[in-house]
Amino acid sequence: MELNPVEIRLLRRFRKMYMVTAFLVSLAMTAVLLLTVFNLPAFGKAGNPAENEVIGRYIEKGLEETGAVNIVAAVILDYRAFDTLGETLVLFTALVAVLMLLKDEAGVFNRRYRERSKFEPEKDQIFRSVAGMLIPCLLVFSIYIIVNGHLSAGGGFAGGAILGATLVLYNIAYGLEKARGFINEKNFLRFITAALLFYSVVKGYSFFTGGNHLPSVIPLGFPGSIFSGGLILPLNITVGIVVACVVYGAFCLFNRGGL
Amino acid sequence: MIRTVLAALLMGAGLFVLAVATLGIFRFRYVLNRIHVAAKCDTLGAMLFLSGLAVLEGFSFAAFKLILIIIFLWFTNPVASHLVTRVEFQTAAELEHECEVIRDRKEGGAGQ
Repeated sequence: MELNPVEIRLLRRFRKMYMVTAFLVSLAMTAVLLLTVFNLPAFGKAGNPAENEVIGRYIEKGLEETGAVNIVAAVILDYRAFDTLGETLVLFTALVAVLMLLKDEAGVFNRRYRERSKFEPEKDQIFRSVAGMLIPCLLVFSIYIIVNGHLSAGGGFAGGAILGATLVLYNIAYGLEKARGFINEKNFLRFITAALLFYSVVKGYSFFTGGNHLPSVIPLGFPGSIFSGGLILPLNITVGIVVACVVYGAFCLFNRGGL
Repeated sequence: MIRTVLAALLMGAGLFVLAVATLGIFRFRYVLNRIHVAAKCDTLGAMLFLSGLAVLEGFSFAAFKLILIIIFLWFTNPVASHLVTRVEFQTAAELEHECEVIRDRKEGGAGQ
């Protein structure tokens, strides 16, 4: 497209103005944000808006009402289980979007993969043997974190991320064909939807019973043992399954366009 | 007392090695040189620093966990560097310009 000199001058002026405006806007934004930060209430001061009866209730009654030694697990999977359901659904939605966009119907990814397959680390003997030593330890560690979520730091999100990373390591070290032996597209989708459905059904009953659903029919157990905390242990496991599947599925889709 | 001094010595040595590694990453130009300094110094520096912490901790479960972390790092860090180096070796177009290359007899080219 031909531009006459007047247009070129106008465009130059526009670009200059654009730079100046962008600079001013970001300066104003910085000033607003800094002012907000300086006007925040002091950290830990009594009478802050964040300090109300909720915190005291969690700390004093948390163990008694939920049976979980880890108060964080009690908050995110019992008092505020719906928030966690929403977070899990966000992960699931992201995975569905990736699946829609990157599912390799035409085999383009696969062809490209075959072209570079001799550079893939699965051909490397050192990497394979080290991965073979590490994967069992990592599996045990991730399951420990998930199952111990209501007793110590960790839980479904952290343990699920480690589990997903372990599956990714297995995939890289031994190849997709071998990884398909225990997690292919069919049972992958089955795992993730079953976990989400279980979570929704288990926590959804309060929609029908109404209001505070803390009194549960499931016994809380002795605090500190594995089978305690009511629903927190199964919910941790479902969250862990969803997170692991999302990590592994996103890796596979970006790597080869399919599970 | 002597334990604190020993721990401080170990941690100081670890910090020195890590500082050398950081300097080397910025000073070297070619990726294999950078991998060389980063991998070796990361492995050694992390080991020295974590063993300093373990000495400070004494015989306890926390020290055992620190030793486990050292073992984990010694497994994974060299292997990660090895994989990066391997890809560089296989895909670099002008490797001969950068360093001396001894070709593998079996592969006859870019190989294991």
